[in-house]
This record gives sequence, structure tokens and C-alpha cells, in this order.
Amino acid sequence: MENRQSIPCVELRNVVKRFPGVLAVDHVDLEIEQGKIFTLLGPSGCGKTTALRLVAGLETLDEGDILIDGKVMNDIPPYRRNCSTVFQSLALFPHMTVEGNIAYGLERRKTPNHEIRKGVGEMLELVGLEGMEKRRPSQLSGGQRQRVAVARSLVLKPRVLLLDEPLAALDRKLRKEMQVELKRIQGEVGITFLYVTHDQKEALAISDTIAVMRAGKLEQAGAPDEIYNTPRTKFIADFMGASNILSGKVIATGDGKLQLETDSGLKVIALHNEGTGNNEITGISVHPELIELLPSDAGLEGDNRFRGRVIEMIYQGDFIETKITLSQTGELLTAHFPSRLEMVTRLSPGEEVLVHWSPKSSNTLLA
Amino acid sequence: MKAGKIADIIQRLGVILVYVVLWMPIVILVILSFSSHAIGLRWQGFTLQWYVQVLNTPKAMEALKNSLFVSTVATVISTIGGTLAAYGLYKYKFRGRSALRMSVLLPITIPYVVTAATLLIFFTQVIRIPMGYITIIIAHITFSAPLAVFIVLGRMARVDWTLEEASADLGADKLTTWRKVIVPVLLPAIMISAALIFPWSFNDFTITYFVAGVGTMTLPIYIFSLMQYCRTPVVINAISSVFVVLPIIGLLLVTFLQRKETT
Repeated sequence: MENRQSIPCVELRNVVKRFPGVLAVDHVDLEIEQGKIFTLLGPSGCGKTTALRLVAGLETLDEGDILIDGKVMNDIPPYRRNCSTVFQSLALFPHMTVEGNIAYGLERRKTPNHEIRKGVGEMLELVGLEGMEKRRPSQLSGGQRQRVAVARSLVLKPRVLLLDEPLAALDRKLRKEMQVELKRIQGEVGITFLYVTHDQKEALAISDTIAVMRAGKLEQAGAPDEIYNTPRTKFIADFMGASNILSGKVIATGDGKLQLETDSGLKVIALHNEGTGNNEITGISVHPELIELLPSDAGLEGDNRFRGRVIEMIYQGDFIETKITLSQTGELLTAHFPSRLEMVTRLSPGEEVLVHWSPKSSNTLLA
Repeated sequence: MKAGKIADIIQRLGVILVYVVLWMPIVILVILSFSSHAIGLRWQGFTLQWYVQVLNTPKAMEALKNSLFVSTVATVISTIGGTLAAYGLYKYKFRGRSALRMSVLLPITIPYVVTAATLLIFFTQVIRIPMGYITIIIAHITFSAPLAVFIVLGRMARVDWTLEEASADLGADKLTTWRKVIVPVLLPAIMISAALIFPWSFNDFTITYFVAGVGTMTLPIYIFSLMQYCRTPVVINAISSVFVVLPIIGLLLVTFLQRKETT
């Protein structure tokens, strides 16, 4: 028991899954720590749902191993895997009450009646649906249905709860509420969550670890802030909203900084990381909110200061999404300027501006 | 404004006309079944004597019982078989599946006489079984099972099949999933097909007449023989009313189930 913490709850070793004409999961290795929320993030068709279904046992894998608690699960049927799935459509049994839905798994295990009642009661309390036990799914709101689906799985006390885009059907406000709620529930029960989503904001809000998938491959795994601040590839940078991607080559290093010349000839400064070789670096990315607006008389001395012209301003509430073309090389940048700044509100399309970002805001890309 | 009003009136008239054409003969039949006129062709005052007479005619009661038996068995088998067939057509991929799916209602478009003659040849020349209730029931299944397949397939297209996976994920085997999830979810459609098939089978004359053989009597055949050979076919109105009442019960059932399905 004492070394349980050191064994990953779920482990994928070199997992491959093929469908006719596609490599859905392409040699994926990953480890999911006990008691954490692990998110597979990626655009639709990237293989994240297939990966989840492989863990659930709803698909059979072509190569590699899937381990739960250190035991190989390859040939174990879904219901013996000690994991339970919350489906994207929720798949609540429409002809059963809330109570009937939650009790379903326990009944299949031939649990004694009084224990079923106890388990259902505990779950209703956990997800905050006391008093709703006699309702049918059609009589519940979207958020309540969500809770029933989670309760129906958690009542079986699985080692891993697999959630396949569980909040996709909810509106934005409710989705945010449910993210908080899922995190609270996970904290209370301490069960490992494997969460699949295509929504990067949701992934950032809910996860302990995010693994970004692309075309069946795992591109990067790490803590949410790591994925957000230091995406390793252009794909992830773009996916995480760091929409300013400048491809180029390193031309000089020194002073803990490196200078990179973009394909268009722009010279930008980034921090130099000892671990990575200069020719591995293929460009940089900058988050739009890290680009600052400077007074036009501030001058061009210093790192990453460029003149440009505003071509478009889109009001987004707390910030203004501003598109700027750089005068020197014609590069298009997107900046999110805080709309509370007077300097920003006075801005209008067509105007000359001076923009700046700090070298540590330049994230170096490897692919 | 005025044109809209006229259109409105025409629309209402249209609806009334359709229902009059549909129901008038039947309503007249039911009314005349209570008429004391000797051969039941005019209204002469209220009586229940024809109903009493039907109840006191052992042959009529026998025919009614036979019909109920045949239709019940045919309905149960058609509905169950149809549901299983629909599941297979929906779930399993095989060569010619879409052709099979599309042709499921084809037997219904074939004229009854042709189906009847074909079945007669099938029973007498191919499988060689004696004519009787067995052949009638088989014949009824032949023309009513496709309806069940059609209705249940329609429902299946709107079912969230993740339910099946969810059930398996929660530890149910295939049989339990069928019993606890699939059948209950399809039940409204299954009941609707039963409610449509039963009167259909109960009313059938043409096909039954061909495959009934000697001495086998269902209600429609009995009525036909009354009209052919009976000198005072007065009870026909009364018996025929049975055929009106049964489908109405079926129809009400269907409406009820559909309402239940949509809530």
C-alpha cells in the first residue's frame, strides 16, 4: 500500500490505435498521477477521446499497454477495469429516476439493498441533488443531469473517473460553474480524473496536468501554467491563444539572452535557456496580453520595441483586441490592450503606435 | 384580411370533408347496428337485439375467439421478431444492409392477392403444411413484422446509443442491458407497432381467406360467409362494429403512448 503513491494511477505505454485509414492514437506514452485531474486537450479528431475510450476498455488497442494501478488492463473488459466513464452525451437512462440511474451500477454488482440506498444517498449529497431522487433526467436542468452522470459513476468508487467532454452541452456560464463543482467533487473524493476536452480555457481551469494531443501524438504534457506560458510547439502556442508566432533562427546569444531573426528580418530578443541548442529553436511565440503599448515618444532603444500601425480594434470588454502591422517588416501582431487604460481608449485604427514586450515574454518554440 | 378569412374557411371545410368521408360510412354502420329494421338498411328504432343475437350465435363467438387468438399470437411474434430484426439492421454492418433497410416496407406494397397466392403456393407446394391456424398466423406475421421493423428502426435512429455503452461500463452484461435499458427505451415504439399490427391482423380478410383452409374461421371470413350465404345478414352491422371499436382502442393507445414518449 505505501508505494501506491509512486505507481501511476493510469499509465499508457507506447499505445497505438488504428481505425481504417487513420492512426487515431500514435505511440502515446503517459502517466497519470494518483488523485489528480489529468486533462487530454486537443482539437477534435486529435485522438483524445479514443485514448480515453482505450483506458475505459470501450476500444481495444492495437499496440502497447494500458496499466491501471500498475496492472496491465489490455484484455480486461470495461466493467472489471475499476474505472467509470462520464460520456459526452451523459447517457443517463431516460426511463429511470435519478435514484435508479445512480443505483444502476451497484445493482449490477449485486450490492445489498441497504448499501445501495446508503451509496445513493451519499452521492446525492456529494453532488448536491438531495430531494431530486424521484425525478427523471428529462425533469432536470443541464447542470443537474451532469451531476447525476458524475454521481452514477462515482458511486462505484472507481480508481479513475473518465470524463469525455462532459460539459460540452452546457452554456458558458453553467460550464464555468460545473468546472468549479467538478474540481470540488474531485477534491472531496480524491479519485483520479482523466478529463478530455477541446476547450483550452476549461483545461486550464480544471487540470493539475494537461497533455496536449495533435493528430494522435502527445505533443506536450505539463502543469497548466507551463503549457500556457511555455508552449513548446507552434501548434500548442496557437492552440493556447499565443497567437503571435514568429518563425526564425537564432543569430546571437549572450548575457542570458538570445537574438532571433524572423523570416521577415525582424530581430527579437528572448531569454536564453542553457538546456536548448540554438539550432533547435524555430521561432518564438508571444501572448497577446504580454504586448504593451508605449507612449509614441518613448523611443526604440531597448529590447523588442517596434513601430506599427493599428489596422483593427475589436472591443472585448476588459480588453481591446488590437491588430497591428509592424512598419519595419509588415508582420501582423495581435495585442490585447487593457480597455481601462486611457492611452488605449484614445487609440483608433490607422494610427501609428509603439509596442513592446519583455524578452521573458518571448517563448521559444522548438517545432 | 378578407382573403385570409376565406382561406381559413376553405381550410376548415377541407378538414371537415376529409373526416366526413373517412368516418361517415362507419358511423352509419354503427348506428344501423342498433336499428330494429329487419335487414339493417334503414333506421327503425333502437334495439340491441342484433348484439344479443351475435352473442347467442356460437359460430360468431367462435370466429371472434379465433380471430383474437390469431391476432394476439401474430402481434406478439411480429413485434418481438420485428424489434430484433430492427436491432440487427441498425447495429450490425453487413453487405446489403441499406438495401435490406430500404426494402423493409416493400412487402406492404405488394397487392394482398399476390401475397396471398404466393403464401398459398409456399404452404402447399414448398413446406407442405396443412392449412389452418398455423398457416394463418405465419401469413399474418409475414405482412405485419415489416411494420414493426419500420417503426422500431425509426425510433432507434433517435436513441442515444451511448446508453448501451454506459450500461456496459457500469457492469451490465448484454442481456441485462437489453432487459434494463434497450427494451425500456424502445418500449413506446414497440407498443405502437403492436397497437397498429393487432387491428391490422384482426381485420385481414384477403390473405387469411387464401391460407385458412377448410373449417378454419376468423371473424372477417365469417362475415364474408354471412354475406354470401345467409338470407338475413342483419347481424353483420353488429359484428362489423367490433372492427370499428378495436382500431379506435388501438388508436387511442397509440396516441397515449406517443404523448408519453414525448414528455
